[in-house]
Amino acid sequence: MSATRLYLSNDTSSKAAGTDRLARAWENRPVVALARTSARGAFFLEPMVERDMPQGRMAWPQAKPDDLTRILAGEGGTPVEQIAFLAQQTRVTFANFGVTRPLSPEDYVAHGGGAGLDRARGMSPDGILDALKRSQLRGRGGAAFPVWTKWRIAKETPADRKYVVANADEGDAGTYCDRMLMEGEPFRLIEGMLICALAIGAERGYIYCRQEYPAAARALQAAIAEAEQSGMLDCRGKTFKLEVFVGAGSYVCGEETALIASLEGRRGVVRAKPPYPAVAGLYGRPTVVSNVLTFATVPSILAKGGDWYASLGTERSRGTIPLQIGGRVKQPGLVEIPFGATLEDVLHRFGGGMAPGATLKAVQVGGPLGSLFPASKLNIPICYDAFADAGAILGHGGIVVFDDETDMVELARHFMAFTADESCGVCTPCRIGSVRAREVLDRIRNGRGLPDDLALLADLSETMKTASLCALGARAPYPVLTAIEHWGTEFRRGAGG
Amino acid sequence: MKTLEAILEQCRTSPPNILDTLLAVQGTFNYVPSSALPEIARALKATEADVVGVLTYYPELRTHPPGRHLIRVCTGESCVANHCGRLTEALAEELRIGMGATTPDGRFTLEKVYCVGNCAVGPSVMIDEDVHGRVAPGDIGALLASYK
Repeated sequence: MSATRLYLSNDTSSKAAGTDRLARAWENRPVVALARTSARGAFFLEPMVERDMPQGRMAWPQAKPDDLTRILAGEGGTPVEQIAFLAQQTRVTFANFGVTRPLSPEDYVAHGGGAGLDRARGMSPDGILDALKRSQLRGRGGAAFPVWTKWRIAKETPADRKYVVANADEGDAGTYCDRMLMEGEPFRLIEGMLICALAIGAERGYIYCRQEYPAAARALQAAIAEAEQSGMLDCRGKTFKLEVFVGAGSYVCGEETALIASLEGRRGVVRAKPPYPAVAGLYGRPTVVSNVLTFATVPSILAKGGDWYASLGTERSRGTIPLQIGGRVKQPGLVEIPFGATLEDVLHRFGGGMAPGATLKAVQVGGPLGSLFPASKLNIPICYDAFADAGAILGHGGIVVFDDETDMVELARHFMAFTADESCGVCTPCRIGSVRAREVLDRIRNGRGLPDDLALLADLSETMKTASLCALGARAPYPVLTAIEHWGTEFRRGAGG
Repeated sequence: MKTLEAILEQCRTSPPNILDTLLAVQGTFNYVPSSALPEIARALKATEADVVGVLTYYPELRTHPPGRHLIRVCTGESCVANHCGRLTEALAEELRIGMGATTPDGRFTLEKVYCVGNCAVGPSVMIDEDVHGRVAPGDIGALLASYK
């Protein structure tokens, strides 16, 4: 009898949930052939085992080593296509997740990989830009700048060398889609960067990967070596030189000018713009710096056409957004859907409501610089415009749900302490403002606030918002101010008011 | 173990890259010894001030040797929402050291980290390169036992 092939995710979060434990228990059983895949993103179901059956792919969620007998007998599994969390998604960038082996070029190509690059190779640079223009893709790192415009500027700026840089410094807590992409489908990122290189005329690229993601850096290095061997990196007759650069734990290095300084080996501090990196970036040369997710979206756009991509989503937020749900929900995980669903709907339909025994108090969208929403304000459509109108950001798509045991003063202090720790120190509003604001919140937390402390916080916040050099200082007040706006009594209690 | 000289020889890129060089030095010695700074500066044709400026800017560059195992408790928002504060307290109590400190036997260094990207399986503790998820304060004893 031949061995039964069982699929187990090799993603860091799946392993943290226990897939490695299952693999260790079963690896020496001759009846089992293990295939380690990318993750589906339904992390609440991990460790999940899958196998192919005559009726399709079947899954055994939250499996234990003892479950092997019934899995091999085909008993008690759930058809993957009937898992509601997955069935209700529109997977574009994450279409192959949970299916393919991350470092197998054969798997990648068999599931449509490389089609975008093949199309791009037959197009002029302007043709590639036109496809992106039609797609209306906006940068997925947080700033939401039109991608084709950035690429066009880099293409049209004359220079002896140009660079393509993937921003893999996924620093916003609550986000992990870049990590999943790099670990789970590294060829997709490489393909997106190559398409960019063809469009702007670059011969070198870097992936700036944060130090906290060792598995992602290893997967990328292995995939680059594989791509080099197979000829995938051929770029108009030359080999596109692509390297992984591992950072050293600084949040602000996710800001593009700080990232470039860090890539050059200097202190990763922010500089004033213009000039923008697309004009003068790495070593003063035109450089496209885009988020991992942005590059990973490009191959699908080239393969299926810009108009197709633009047919998804809302008027000014086209395509899909991979949301990452975390915190005190029942079903944390990755959800890729077209823009436009409300936050409430996403939390209900995908998040599955609150974890047992927990009551919702606050939801933060867009990382540590994102605004907080109370339960009464969740009826907001997930798209760039609605969030901008509310003074909020979508950022990199992280959604964190806090329960009613959360002390909002303590949380606000956590945010300001974070900014004070991570401020690069170049501009005064952020460097000093964050420390002063943290001190005020320390006082309030200790019940020793002064009567005008909340007015002082509002004043400091205004200065930080208007005069900071980058989004770290300019956005840092938002989670604090929205906490005061919606849970003011908690602050007034400690502020002597 | 590679000598400092050999590491610096490999790091002679044009233009020189201070961060990359310091990471390479740390990769071998687990930290950047202050005694190595003059030689690093010379090799990179930089001033010592430039090198120290980079060294002190990045949280992950170390000026002192860490313990054999590095424990990093995630304090990203998703872990905060999952009450990682209780985990931090339990770890400090178990190891009898504060944040940033190393146990007297040199076995563990305890630090915070700002997000390991394991937000859906939190609260998270990263030990060396292993990410552990859904960690409860009661799991800590057994967890640490596997790191000698």
